[in-house]
Order: sequence, then structure tokens, then C-alpha cells
Amino acid sequence: MVDPRVTLGRLTLPNPVLVASGTFGYVREMSTFVRLDRLGGVIPKTVTARPRAGNPTPRTVETAAGMLNAIGLDNDGIDHFVAHHLPYLRTVGAPVIANIAGEDEDQFVAMAAQLGGEPGIAAIELNISCPNVSHGLDLGVDAEAVGRLVKRVRSECPLPIIAKLTPNVTNVVPIAAAAAEAGAAAVSLINTLRGMAVDWRRRRPILAYDVGGLSGPAVKPIALRMVWDVARALPELPIIGIGGIATADDALEFLVAGASAVQVGTATFYDPTAADRMVDEIASRAAEAGVRSLREIVGTLRSNRGG
Amino acid sequence: MSGTDFQGPFHRCATIVENVPVARETYRIRLADPAIAGSIRPGQFVMIRPGGDGSDDPLLGRPLALYDVVRDASGAPVAFDVVYLVIGRGTSALSRRRAGESLSIWGPLGNGFGRAPEGPAVFVAGGIGQTPFLALGRDWLQPGGPCPSATLLYGVRSADLLAGVDDFHAAGVHVEIATDDGSAGHHGFVTDLLARRLDRGERPAKVVGCGPPAMLAALARLTERHGLDCDVSLENHMACGFGACFSCVAPIRQPDGSADLRRVCVEGPVFPARGVVWS
Ligand SMILES: Cc1cc2nc3c(=O)[nH]c(=O)nc-3n(C[C@H](O)[C@H](O)[C@H](O)COP(=O)(O)OP(=O)(O)OC[C@H]3O[C@@H](n4cnc5c(N)ncnc54)[C@H](O)[C@@H]3O)c2cc1C
Ligand SMILES: Cc1cc2nc3c(=O)[nH]c(=O)nc-3n(C[C@H](O)[C@H](O)[C@H](O)COP(=O)(O)O)c2cc1C
Ligand code: FES
Repeated sequence: MVDPRVTLGRLTLPNPVLVASGTFGYVREMSTFVRLDRLGGVIPKTVTARPRAGNPTPRTVETAAGMLNAIGLDNDGIDHFVAHHLPYLRTVGAPVIANIAGEDEDQFVAMAAQLGGEPGIAAIELNISCPNVSHGLDLGVDAEAVGRLVKRVRSECPLPIIAKLTPNVTNVVPIAAAAAEAGAAAVSLINTLRGMAVDWRRRRPILAYDVGGLSGPAVKPIALRMVWDVARALPELPIIGIGGIATADDALEFLVAGASAVQVGTATFYDPTAADRMVDEIASRAAEAGVRSLREIVGTLRSNRGG
Repeated sequence: MSGTDFQGPFHRCATIVENVPVARETYRIRLADPAIAGSIRPGQFVMIRPGGDGSDDPLLGRPLALYDVVRDASGAPVAFDVVYLVIGRGTSALSRRRAGESLSIWGPLGNGFGRAPEGPAVFVAGGIGQTPFLALGRDWLQPGGPCPSATLLYGVRSADLLAGVDDFHAAGVHVEIATDDGSAGHHGFVTDLLARRLDRGERPAKVVGCGPPAMLAALARLTERHGLDCDVSLENHMACGFGACFSCVAPIRQPDGSADLRRVCVEGPVFPARGVVWS
């Protein structure tokens, strides 16, 4: 038997399989496909301070081994989330990690404070990396701003704070370091990569928003490399790996590269029971390899260059 | 959702019984799956991954409507049919799948059509939009039911794209055809066929439409002008089909009069024509 539990700072999860924000609806949509109480945790779609209509359609398009999305944080706002979705989320039997996005620091802090007062939430994930909403500079690309934000959120919210980082930077390590320094319980990486798809005959981008975020199997090598970069530079900082994870082997690759847990994203769209199956498959794959506890393999990847 | 034992939607690996051409660039695929066949209703759809046997290329599923349920000698549902037109990578990959291969599918999805009307029904289809109406015709024309007759007004670009006309006849649905090029039936829009009937004073108890957005918008205007009850089935682009991704939204009028973007895969694909905000 493999001990499947994993830890992210003071947060202990029953197993490393979480589901990524924006790819699992508000969780109830998935209840016929996935035994929710078996998951390591659920992360509902990003909630914002006020309702947002999101972007016009087409909002998604398939690309080689992946997809682009520009949903635009379509949601009914935090009050609706608390009144309508949270009561259900409390019943699913898996740790609930709420994901929030503010238009500025104050909004993030106010939302985190509001959710910090609600029972039944295990942690807050800060979406500081959504490429589909433009309000000036993307907060998540600025290490100083990320550090300041995490610090302020922590002072107003007692829950563990997870900073979800963007891959759309030249070096993610200083940003992860700033989050860690400010007391983030973990960082999750990666969010989607900015990209586009073109219909040259119509001389138009395919997405109504022109550009979108790339996800799916195509991004997995980039996500693995970023997890490894951060794990090597900041060995004490718990990491949640995200990006193209669709099988138990994918998840185990992220664990050895340095992630303590993973999130299944786009795979749910094309394999709706993927996260459910992954829970057992990770344990049996690990057992086959003689592993006794998933914790013991986190970050065990060794460099071929003698590192 | 008939009965209380419905547990779906289901995620299945279904075996292809056959995948045969039925018109130009149009195929009928039969998938053996008693669970979906036994619970899917007219107007609902399934997502099918076109790669087959676990292939990840193409990556996402494609939404396709129920065409017909296949029963064994005892009447038990054992398989279902989908009829599809080859459009791009996904449907073209699907057309290359062979009997005996397996496909990853999930369904039944969406709301489906409502109850049979108390009077004659008219189905208005553009392009490949006829597919949901065979199962609907069978359902609404059940002997002893309130709906005495159903007519399919079926418009395509050209006669060689007509798919399944004999199936509709066999199910007792009258068929009237329109083509853009005049190669069969009325030379012009399918909505002309309905307008002509309404001008003659016909009053169907229910009109249902499926097809390109411009056709559906014209149908919505026409039926509204005549004060007729009309539902439409929308074909928005989808990534998941079960409400998780928010790709498929359409502007739908809410009870308070405002328009809100709603997920076509869970709240639709069937909406009252009056409720859709046509752009
Ligand atoms: C509820 C519903 C029921 C449908 N039923 C049928 C049916 O019974 N028979 C049939 O032939 N077609 C049906 N369609 C349309 C069918 O889904 C598309 O033709 C198909 O997805 C095209 O995929 P592709 O990869 O071949 O085309 P591409 O153009 O290469 O597809 C690219 C992307 O766009 C999406 N897409 C393209 N056209 C459409 C469209 N018209 N509607 C929705 N998504 C689209 C694809 O799913 C894919 O993700 C239905 C659509 C919906 C939403
Ligand atoms: C359709 C779609 C919507 C998404 N919405 C959100 C969101 O609301 N908030 C968020 O933090 N990430 C969102 N993401 C990003 C995912 O959570 C994940 O970080 C990313 O897709 C990479 O993982 P994947 O390759 O496994 O999908 C979204 C991704 C997709 C494909
Ligand atoms: S297709 Fe994913 S929400 Fe409708």
C-alpha cells in the first residue's frame, strides 16, 4: 500500500489529484463522471468581486495537441458564489480550494477576507495569471507586486494562500520566490500560455477575443520545466504542478520534478473521468515501482548533467 | 429523464457497429451502448472523440445529436445512431473509423425537446439540422398521443446532401424539400416553405428548428410574426459538452427581460426561439 497523502505547507491533502480552476465548472457539473469525494481537492472556476459576462464566442478552439481559450472569467460574482455554489461545495467530501481574481490588490484582499470567514474552504488560490482579462499590466508578471499581494491577503485571511503563477514570463523563479517570501503556502504552475489561432482566408483570428491561453498536452513539457526550475531554486516551497496532465504517469512525472500535488485541467474536457481514474492509478504505478509514500518521491528527479 | 434510475451522463468506450455513407460527405455511425441508448431522448446529444481506440488526435470530443435508437428483437435499446456531415478535422477523422473499433463517448447531454404538442408539428431543418428530428418524429407520433402529424421542411444546398429522407417517411413524417440550387424540391430557402404554409392559413401547434444561425433567426422572426410556438436547437462550439468549460454560451433572454450568456450544452441545446437573442 502506498500512502497517497501529500502536504502543502500546513495543508494535508488525501492524495495529489486536484482539478484545475475553469476546467471543472463549479464541481456539481462533474458529479456523474467523477467520485468527487475521492479527489485530493477541487478548485471551482475563478470567482471575481462582481459578476462578469466574459468574452464573446468563439471562446475556445482546438489546436495541435491542445486548445486555446479566452473565456474571460465569465462568472456571477463572489456573493453568488457564496450563496449558491459554496453550500454544494461543502458537501462534496473533498477539500475545496476557492480560486479568486481581483481587478486590483484591494479586490483580491476583500474577496480573500470574505471567503476566509466562510466555513468549508481549505485554501485560497489567487489567480494572478489569467491572460484573458486586460486591465493594464498583468499583476502576476511582477515579482514585487506578487509579494505585496500575498502579504496583504495573508494578513486579512487565515486560510493557506496558493499563488497561481503565469508561464508568460522570462523567468518564473523570482516571482515564485516573492510569493514564498510573503508566506504563500504553495505556488501552482502553470496557467495557460498566450497564443492565437488564425483563419487566413477570412484574415481573422479564430477566437472572438483574438488571443487566448494555450492548454492541454502541448504545454506539458513547458510546465514540467517550470516546476523543475522552481523546485530546484526553492526546495522548501510546495508546488502544485499543472499543464497537460492526463494520465497517472503524467502526474508522477510532475511529482518527481518537484510538485507535491497536481491539477488535472483540459484532460477533463476530453476524458471526463480522467481525474477519478488517476487517483488509483498513481498509487498502483507508484506501488509497482516500490514506492511506499508519494511524499517520498516529490522532487527526486536528478539531472543528467550531474546536478 | 425517464424513471428514477438514470445515472448519466455516462462516459463510455463504445464499439462501432457500422459507419456508412448516406449522402455526399454524410455518414451514419451506429454505436453499441445500451446505457446511453436506453436513456437518451430526442434533442439530446453525445460527445464523440473522433480519433478512436484511445487516440488523442483530434483532442476534443465533437457534439452530435441523437438520430435514432436501435432496439433488439425484444425491444430493448442496444445501440444508437448519429448522422454527421464531414466539416473539418474531427468529422473527417470520424468518417475514417471502421466497424469494430471503439470510440470514447459521453452522454446523454443537454435538455432535449419538450412533450408532444396537442396538434400538428412542423420541423424546419437547414443543412445537417435534420438529424434530431427522426427520433423526435418517432416520439411525438406515437399512436394515441396528442400529435396527429409531423412534417419535416428540409433545406440543403444541393440534392445530393439530402440524408435520411426514407427514414423520415418510414417514421410517418411528411417531408418537403428545398435546395439552394434547385436540384430538388423548392428552389430557395426552407423558411419559404413554412411561410407558404402559414400564408395558406395552416397553424401548426408547434414548430421546431435546427440549422445555421441565419436560418434559425429567420424562423424565429417568422413564427413570432404568426404567433406560433417555436423551439430551436442551437449548434454552438463546444469543448466539453457537460457544463465545465463555458465555451458554448449563447445570449438567452431571462424572465426579467435581460439577456444573459447561458451554456448551450446544459441549458440547451433546445431553447424557445423567442428566448434567443439573435445577433
Ligand atoms: C448539440 C449539437 C448537436 C449537433 N448535432 C450534429 C449532428 O447530428 N450532425 C452533424 O453533422 N453535426 C452536428 N453538430 C455540429 C457538429 O458538432 C460539427 O459539425 C462538428 O463539431 C465539426 O467538427 P470538425 O472537427 O469536423 O470541424 P472543424 O470546423 O474543424 O471544428 C473545429 C472546432 O469547431 C467545432 N465546430 C465546428 N463546427 C461546429 C458546429 N456547427 N457546431 C458545433 N461545433 C462546431 C468543432 O467541434 C471543433 O471543436 C451538432 C452540434 C451541436 C452543438
Ligand atoms: C477553458 C479553460 C478555462 C480556464 N479557466 C481558468 C480560470 O477561471 N481560472 C484559472 O485560474 N485558470 C483557468 N484555466 C487554466 C487551467 O486551470 C490550467 O492552469 C491550464 O489550463 C493548464 O492546465 P491543463 O493543460 O491541464 O489544462 C482555464 C483553462 C481552460 C482550458
Ligand atoms: S461545452 Fe463546455 S460548458 Fe458547454
